[in-house]
Amino acid sequence: MTVIQAQRRAAASGNDAWLARRRWARAGWLYVFMLVMSFFFLGPFLMGLLSSMKDNPNEYPPKLVIPQLTAQYVSRAYNLGVQGGSNGWNGGLTPGRQVVFEVSVRSPADAPQDAPTVSLFPYQPVSLVAIARQAQAKDYAKLSTVQVSQSGDTKIYRTTVSYPVLTAQTGEVIRAKLTTPDSDVKAQLPGGEIVKVTLDTPAAQEKQYELSETQQVELVKAGENYYLRGPLFERTPMQVDVQRGQTIVNSTLPPSDKQNFDRSFAFRNITPGILGYTFNNYRRAFNETMDPTSGRSLFFSWVLNSFLYAFLRVAAAIVFCSLAGYALARMEFPGKNLIFLGAVLFVQMVPSQVNLVSNYVLLKDLGLLNIWGLWFNGLVAAGGVFLMKQFFEGMPKELEESASIDGAGPFTTFWRVMLPQAGPALIALAITQFQGAWNDFFWPLVLLRQNTDFTLTVGLSSFSQLYGGQGDYGLILAGAILSAIPVIIVFIIFQRYFVDTGSDSAVKG
Amino acid sequence: MTTTDPTAKPPSIRPKATRSKQSQTTTTALLFLSPFLITTLVFFFYAFARAIYYSFTDFNLFNTPKLIGIKPYVDVLADPSFRRALANSLIFAIVTTTLQTVFSLLMAVALNNRIRGMAFFRSAWYMPSITSSVVITLIFLWLFQRRGIANYLITQWQAAQPLILAFLGVLIVVQVAQVLWERSRKLPAGWFDPALAAVSALIALVVVFVLNSTGVIGLREVAPYDYQYFADKWISIGGVRVLSIPLLVVIIQNTFTTVPTLMLFFLAGLQSIPGSLYEAADIDGATPYQKLMNVTVPMLRPVTFYVVTVGLIGTMQMFDQVAVIGSAAPQDTLITLAYYVYTNTFKNGAAPVNMASAAAIILALIILSMVFIQRKFFVAPEAN
Repeated sequence: MTVIQAQRRAAASGNDAWLARRRWARAGWLYVFMLVMSFFFLGPFLMGLLSSMKDNPNEYPPKLVIPQLTAQYVSRAYNLGVQGGSNGWNGGLTPGRQVVFEVSVRSPADAPQDAPTVSLFPYQPVSLVAIARQAQAKDYAKLSTVQVSQSGDTKIYRTTVSYPVLTAQTGEVIRAKLTTPDSDVKAQLPGGEIVKVTLDTPAAQEKQYELSETQQVELVKAGENYYLRGPLFERTPMQVDVQRGQTIVNSTLPPSDKQNFDRSFAFRNITPGILGYTFNNYRRAFNETMDPTSGRSLFFSWVLNSFLYAFLRVAAAIVFCSLAGYALARMEFPGKNLIFLGAVLFVQMVPSQVNLVSNYVLLKDLGLLNIWGLWFNGLVAAGGVFLMKQFFEGMPKELEESASIDGAGPFTTFWRVMLPQAGPALIALAITQFQGAWNDFFWPLVLLRQNTDFTLTVGLSSFSQLYGGQGDYGLILAGAILSAIPVIIVFIIFQRYFVDTGSDSAVKG
Repeated sequence: MTTTDPTAKPPSIRPKATRSKQSQTTTTALLFLSPFLITTLVFFFYAFARAIYYSFTDFNLFNTPKLIGIKPYVDVLADPSFRRALANSLIFAIVTTTLQTVFSLLMAVALNNRIRGMAFFRSAWYMPSITSSVVITLIFLWLFQRRGIANYLITQWQAAQPLILAFLGVLIVVQVAQVLWERSRKLPAGWFDPALAAVSALIALVVVFVLNSTGVIGLREVAPYDYQYFADKWISIGGVRVLSIPLLVVIIQNTFTTVPTLMLFFLAGLQSIPGSLYEAADIDGATPYQKLMNVTVPMLRPVTFYVVTVGLIGTMQMFDQVAVIGSAAPQDTLITLAYYVYTNTFKNGAAPVNMASAAAIILALIILSMVFIQRKFFVAPEAN
């Protein structure tokens, strides 16, 4: 029943107010219904987005208010990042820095009154690529814990993490990456130059054999020599343990993990910066898939591959689908109906699994098991040809007739007269092709054999196989959200065409 | 498709020139079509022919294929995992297509109102259908964990049952009372009158709030619901395993993904139904249900044909979800024909590619016959 009919009935019965009330109530219920449906359709994505920022995305019961999105803790994460690495966004711990972290412990009168045990612990990521063992903050930084105040039975302890520099020299500080050592430790400067690293203190010499290749370090340039100032740490994991009877009531940042009946608090990173705190899983998606020798992140390669593939598909579709669609719509030639039925309609009904073996073997023999083979395999989409045919059939014929009177050949007519008119259809075509390519899973999974060649969809599914069933959902959700972003952006910009093309083709059949 | 073409040029006086012009047009058309035709020939028709050929040979990716007759088909039909895949695919396709068609139609009917803000909601609902099946499957795997959000919501639902039941009870009682009161005043109030329902809901909300804060009713203590979805669990009918729970989750997911898009198709169809039909039905005193079944559904036949056809073709080919879930669920519970073809093609060692091809051909035949049957029994959109 529509509003108009309700209005008519109102006029008929003459009881306007009563019907108006009903109309308003109906609209209200509709809005409630639409809101509920919005929660239903958007809920999984919003929950995924929220949980991808949590320390533990599987926490139970799931919380909606999380410290990673609380202004107070985000600003503390920023401050800790500044203290540890002079950068509030990236955080980390660099040589010569001090970080102050506070913990409040409640010790009732009958419980031990000792200070908590504070220690750093190592963090070694599990990853899709072999990451060389990275230096750990716990081997370099020193801790000291003092009690700073007491109120009632709650004492506040201040832990200072200090990271002494490994050289006595002073001078210009340079960031570099260690490379293959010979008799000396060697480092590669940002410019690409490889230099010898001098270890001038016993503390530095002690660590000489612990530092592996590709470790990021800080050097001091004094005169012609480069002295090791110390390795750089992306994170500083810290653990606080208290005795039985004591409880930890507060800390600068909330713990990432509680164990041992809440007497042991683990802080994943006490120098996070905002990226390391709120967007930790997003940063991990890029950093922990980094191939240390080439410095290229697998995840980043997947993003680039997906963009390249989507771009190639869109470009091919715009040229070839519109050519084919135009020919099918506006030209007369024998076999036209056969081509339309066989190559446009029939193709869309046959599952791609039928072509799997042949196309795989063919492209393998051609040495094209990569993005280019993937591109050739789906070069001209039958659906795109169909769309363009429908569009050109709907265009007025006068345009072409006047062009042909002017003596233009068919190609000029198409290129100069018809194609410029096809803007909306081309946008719709480009969007569907972009979305199709970006979300394509079957063919990339079949044809791309090397993990550097993967597109995002295939790469993401390999994330989920990574930790043997019990997936690392922080990483998976972050990757999933990241991979959804480009399509969502395209959708928001061109949403008019999304909705329009969908319903149009439905009405036309 | 029309066979008479209005674009055909009037017959010319000079047949020879026409013929040369015609052949020129044919050349141009084929030139325009050549990229499309060449790739389709190579990557579709040649591939299709080869798949048919392989399905009668002993090919295993490494040997030279030798014809062995219909043995691969016999092997495939005897393979228990193929049978499971066939059953899973058919059940998945039929259940999902039915669910998504019914839900999207009902939603479209409910939303067929020109109200402010509709555009916003439409774009919000489009979200599930623009993101990739891989992303949605990963999110659903996470939602349906043993201690996941889905089970958490079920726990909350169970805990809040006394409140919800009280709310519904009060709502119904107040609504009935109000309608009777209105009718006693000679007003034509229906049982689902929206304005009265709004008042009833408000009253029920207040009553439940008061009862809750006075402690008469409250949340129940329930143990966390921790059902494991991705396990070897089945819904059986008469001892025959029909539908596995993991497949049920994928059905829910697929319905969730496609309902918004299909709803938009139906909405567009609904808005092209002339209002005079409904007015005529009103004059005949038709109930809303009669109007739905006798006006809306028949008028939406072309759209329904499209939605069902696209739905069947898509769901029969379901692959992504199974591949992404992979080892997280027992293989029998989720295997589909498409996945069967894939795993057999890429099995370690000598892969039974001939069997994979045979299974692919069977899949194609099923889909084509489904479309054919559809065309026979439904009115095709072109006929309208």
